[in-house]
Amino acid sequence: MANLGFMDGMRREIRRMSSRRMYILGMIIVPVFVAVFFLSILNEGLPEHVPTAVVDLDHSEMSRTVTRSLKAMQVLDLNTECESYDEALRQIRTGNVFGFFVIPANFEKDALSGNGPTLEYYTNMTFFVPGTLSFKGFKTVAVAASGGVVKQTLTSLGLPPEKTDALVQPVVMDINALNNPWMNYAIYLCPSFTMATLALMIMLMTVFSISLEIKKGTSVEWLAVAKGRISVALVSKLLPHTIVYFAVGLFILWLLFGFSAFPMNGSLGWMIAATALLVMASQAFAVFIVSVVPNPRLAMSICALFGILSFSFTGFSFPVESMYGYLAVFSWLAPIRYWFLIYINEALNGVAVYYSRLYFVALIVLLFGPALMTWNLKRMALKPVYVP
Amino acid sequence: MSVFKKIYAWFANVGRVFANELRLIIHDPGVLLFFIALPFAYPVVYTLIYNPELVRKIPVAVVDQSMTPESRLLVRKADASPGIDIYAYCADMPEARNLMAEKKVFGVLQIPSDYAKKLALGEQAHVEFYSDMSLLLRYRTFVSSLTDLQIELIGEETGEKISSAGLGSLTGGLTSPINSSSNFLGDTEQGFASFVIPGIVILILQQSMLLGICLLGGTSSERRRANGGIDPKKVNAGACATVWGQALAYTIFYIPMTVYILHFIPEMFNLPHYGSPVEYLLFIFPMLLASAFLGLTLNALMKERESAFIIIVFTSVVFLFLSGLTWPRYAMSTLWTWVGNCVPAVWGVEGFIRINSNAASLPENSVPFMALWCLAAFYLITAIFVTRYINNKSISESKKAWQE
Repeated sequence: MANLGFMDGMRREIRRMSSRRMYILGMIIVPVFVAVFFLSILNEGLPEHVPTAVVDLDHSEMSRTVTRSLKAMQVLDLNTECESYDEALRQIRTGNVFGFFVIPANFEKDALSGNGPTLEYYTNMTFFVPGTLSFKGFKTVAVAASGGVVKQTLTSLGLPPEKTDALVQPVVMDINALNNPWMNYAIYLCPSFTMATLALMIMLMTVFSISLEIKKGTSVEWLAVAKGRISVALVSKLLPHTIVYFAVGLFILWLLFGFSAFPMNGSLGWMIAATALLVMASQAFAVFIVSVVPNPRLAMSICALFGILSFSFTGFSFPVESMYGYLAVFSWLAPIRYWFLIYINEALNGVAVYYSRLYFVALIVLLFGPALMTWNLKRMALKPVYVP
Repeated sequence: MSVFKKIYAWFANVGRVFANELRLIIHDPGVLLFFIALPFAYPVVYTLIYNPELVRKIPVAVVDQSMTPESRLLVRKADASPGIDIYAYCADMPEARNLMAEKKVFGVLQIPSDYAKKLALGEQAHVEFYSDMSLLLRYRTFVSSLTDLQIELIGEETGEKISSAGLGSLTGGLTSPINSSSNFLGDTEQGFASFVIPGIVILILQQSMLLGICLLGGTSSERRRANGGIDPKKVNAGACATVWGQALAYTIFYIPMTVYILHFIPEMFNLPHYGSPVEYLLFIFPMLLASAFLGLTLNALMKERESAFIIIVFTSVVFLFLSGLTWPRYAMSTLWTWVGNCVPAVWGVEGFIRINSNAASLPENSVPFMALWCLAAFYLITAIFVTRYINNKSISESKKAWQE
């Protein structure tokens, strides 16, 4: 090994890494900070107690009952009572509330006389999560109010209570949220977002460390240590990084599935394997970019663009199959996409690894594919030219 | 007179720094990439990603254990609802689970064997639906489709039964004694792009500006190291005049981009766009200024051109969450609320969404507007300190830092 210059290359790289704080920042501090940030900010799981308002234009016994049921909803925090629709709308526009519920005038009278009054509720959908949650709370109360009156009438007509239930609601849909029955946002967002950040930083730091050699003209020496072989030069340079990233990745896995006890219904071993492959495939992606575009700024711009956009086009929140095809295709190039799919299969749904086989293959292909372009990196490394 | 002369000289310095900074921007392709290409292209790319807006027709498997006309009717109704597409009939649950594991379907509708019997007996029938939870958007689409389906069934079944029970005269009043109507404000169609883009564009404004400023700062830092602590391309002026000259150059350079992003992007893609242009442009001005001063403050950390990527890029993800767009700010801990309070784009996102999507006025957004001015003032002071520190740094000290 030593005569290939492999150990010398590793030693040289470890010296370089430890000589600058930028490496510690980009390789360790940023990914760990972002992981802690996400776990901490989404700590509550579900942002209940949405600030909301009620506009009671009836002031009757029945309208007060409705207001009380609104106040009893855990998902709502009914903190404002408004006298008019306009006043409530102003509360939305100043951001004090995310939704309001209007009880019309003559509500009680109309309800009892069968005139069918209308309960109206307004939710601000520009803030999706609180908007949706308040919608859910309002709807539950409105439906319950309606059902309550029907039941009362039917019972007074002499129907037994078990029959009235079936009349009011003949079919009940039990919707089961598999493996995340709490609809916990942290479980839904943290794994993908923290690992995508790690992948982003791996790409940036890999480009940084390689293109810096070209920028400072040390790339000639770098190749000389590896006896002129670009493969040895790259592996000896990137292996110390791989070890650090893998350690950071393991730490993040521990934060997610150990410390935060997120669902791990499958095998942790496969998650670790997927993380190791993600680390190396992200490095490989960066090697490919820096081989094609050895200008440090441009290569880092491309990796930053790809890394940041990969939060979106890999379908963490909006599904890939609903995107336009010409954008969805980019998701196939992002290593984090496959890690995400493996995470869903292994950790969340706990299905057999057989179903993830293609994702592992894809990660391995992404890992070796970029080797095709390294001849160009060698050419640039031998005659380093820095373009600012 | 000398006081006036000093004031005149100060303004002249601001003007010289301003002109010089514009020259530096225009001659640096890296900065132009951040200042022009990025704010130009990113909003388009993002909108295109989310432009399908809604998730429709998600594949679902059916396990029909009832096998009756009633259950088939239910399946037909489910298939007709906007969120559900019946992909396959399965003999049993394991078969359906297999389809789910292969990601061929994302939900399973299970109709129990006693479904029709219970309906006939006038008892409550239960139907089970299992939703994959890898994406909350799919779950939400299922829930809203199934809820509508359930309400539809109530209308039909209940009406039918009440009349068959001999209570026909009551039908009208009983099926809907109290109506309810839901109204969505701002993003009326509940589209994904309409919700996320107005916030993201504000982040793009701030982040692209920070990247550009830090790239300029890192480059200047490299020039200082190469020239014994002095940047030959900088105008010799006091820290205060330098900061104002630079910040004005960035802010004014950004005005055309801001109009494009805040006005034309929503117009082009038919996103919610109700606010008055005068009000949201006035509102965003202090954010641009605060971002410029923040960028100049962050220059303290920029040792070279490439530093900006490592220090700035990842913050976009962090700021996106601090802004409350995806996770509401009322649910954040005090620590993260205050960290968010220090970021201009956090206030920018909040205020711009309200003006743009909820048609709020500037006075209704006085809190974020004042906060932005406070941040501008605060970062002006920090930027002056940083610039003074950089100017005063001794030549030998900066030489020492130059290694490698």
